[in-house]
Amino acid sequence: MFGTYELNVELKENDVEIEIEGKGKKKIYRRKVGNEEIEKFIYAEDGKVVVCPVEPVNLPKIEVSEHLLIKLDKPIIVEAGTKHDFYVKFPLEIGVFLVDRKDIERIDIFTKTNPKYALYGPPEKGIICKWWESGVYGEVPEIDKLYEGIMKVEVENNYHEWVEISKMVFRAFDMKVFYNEYAYMHSYLKILKKTMAETAFNERKPKNMKRAIDIYLAKGIKKFEKKFVMEWGF
Amino acid sequence: MDIIGLLKDILGMEVLKGITVIDIFTFILIILITLVIAKIVKINVRRALKEKVPETTLHTAEKIVYYGIIAIGFIVALPYIGFSLSGLLVAGGIAGIVIGFASQTVVSNLISGMFLMIEKPIKIGDGISIGDVSGVVKDIRVLSTTIRTWDGIYVRIPNERVFSSNIHNYVAHVARRFEYKIGIRYSDDADKAIEIIKNLLDEHPLILKEPAPQIFVEELGDSSVNLSVRIWAPSSVWFSVKTEMLWKIKVALEKEGIEIPFPQRVIWMAGKTHET
Repeated sequence: MFGTYELNVELKENDVEIEIEGKGKKKIYRRKVGNEEIEKFIYAEDGKVVVCPVEPVNLPKIEVSEHLLIKLDKPIIVEAGTKHDFYVKFPLEIGVFLVDRKDIERIDIFTKTNPKYALYGPPEKGIICKWWESGVYGEVPEIDKLYEGIMKVEVENNYHEWVEISKMVFRAFDMKVFYNEYAYMHSYLKILKKTMAETAFNERKPKNMKRAIDIYLAKGIKKFEKKFVMEWGF
Repeated sequence: MDIIGLLKDILGMEVLKGITVIDIFTFILIILITLVIAKIVKINVRRALKEKVPETTLHTAEKIVYYGIIAIGFIVALPYIGFSLSGLLVAGGIAGIVIGFASQTVVSNLISGMFLMIEKPIKIGDGISIGDVSGVVKDIRVLSTTIRTWDGIYVRIPNERVFSSNIHNYVAHVARRFEYKIGIRYSDDADKAIEIIKNLLDEHPLILKEPAPQIFVEELGDSSVNLSVRIWAPSSVWFSVKTEMLWKIKVALEKEGIEIPFPQRVIWMAGKTHET
């Protein structure tokens, strides 16, 4: 499903259907996921269509949240001064973009997941996050490629005591999404204090993977912050 | 030749002590050019920053740029009509005292406006309630705050009143809670009703998972068992969630045979026996 295609394209995988058809400049975009179906008119002659995973914070409603909270179904206890790797799953949002030499235009973003939000921190100072519950895996887990993605987490306990991790919060601004057949991110979780941690992402592109279109860069927003500090526990 | 000479005479004519007509024209021209430049720069600042900074910051930046350019224009132009900067400061000080006494309300509004901008209890775009006025803040000016009420009416409130009133800001915090009271019959299973409501709330994407909704029997009322349903939602969307969910809860309960009863009273007639 993911990749770069010509303007007239028809894709079908499981219950996801994407189609752009029409002659000349006038085209119709159709997308069907389960029972949800949308149509849009596109006036374009040149350019390509890119279907790729995007930062998973756009749905159900754009601009409600710019953070992703992953709740672990089982907490992880980490010894002081050690580093470990594990894998979690994240909710997949798929973006469809029109790309030419000058510009990137978002046509559609959709998901097969049932999105939920949660509050991280107190109501007066906290942040609204996209909420997702994931298992914790020692190896790369099996996934439904159009439903969820894989996130590698490198955890580093810089605190002088054991800590228990039950959730992680990531800022979409910092995310680096990659893909081939499935979506992938590589994150860091650095424990700073008993209730404070820092999350960031690895920018290096893994072998045989492509860099996904960044929705913020596509909107012309320049990125400046690279880390998120979890102030209200993990 | 005579016309040019006449024009020179007119322009060189002294209107006040040491101030000629051409000086006055120059002053007016500088002010007009300053206003045009300020307007153009303000528009460009808005266009450049529109999608990059929040509306409130944008608004403040616009005002600083606009009034800053006008202030510079005045400083440049004032010497043409005989005002020196040092004289202006002395005159300004004296005039300030006089104007201060003469216009206490204006000064009070001005200072309140400055404190509102520093303290920021409200921002442009916030849904608020000040006294008996509720609506969306459209502008916070130096002397007054304008609000578009929920009915779309323009209301201007002097800043002094805004500053001294109780302000309810519905979106100052990122999340807020709202509550429904739902009565069910005494013959209905309250645990089942709670389960139905809980499942319904779990399905809604905008109802927060954490803090989790609370559903419990709050009161054994005269005609019904009253359930309390407390829901947290992002402040930016809470009202749409509130208007949507009540009817959905009612429909979901009725679908499972749980009804919301009418008020009822059991009357015992004297001299008649009660059969169960």
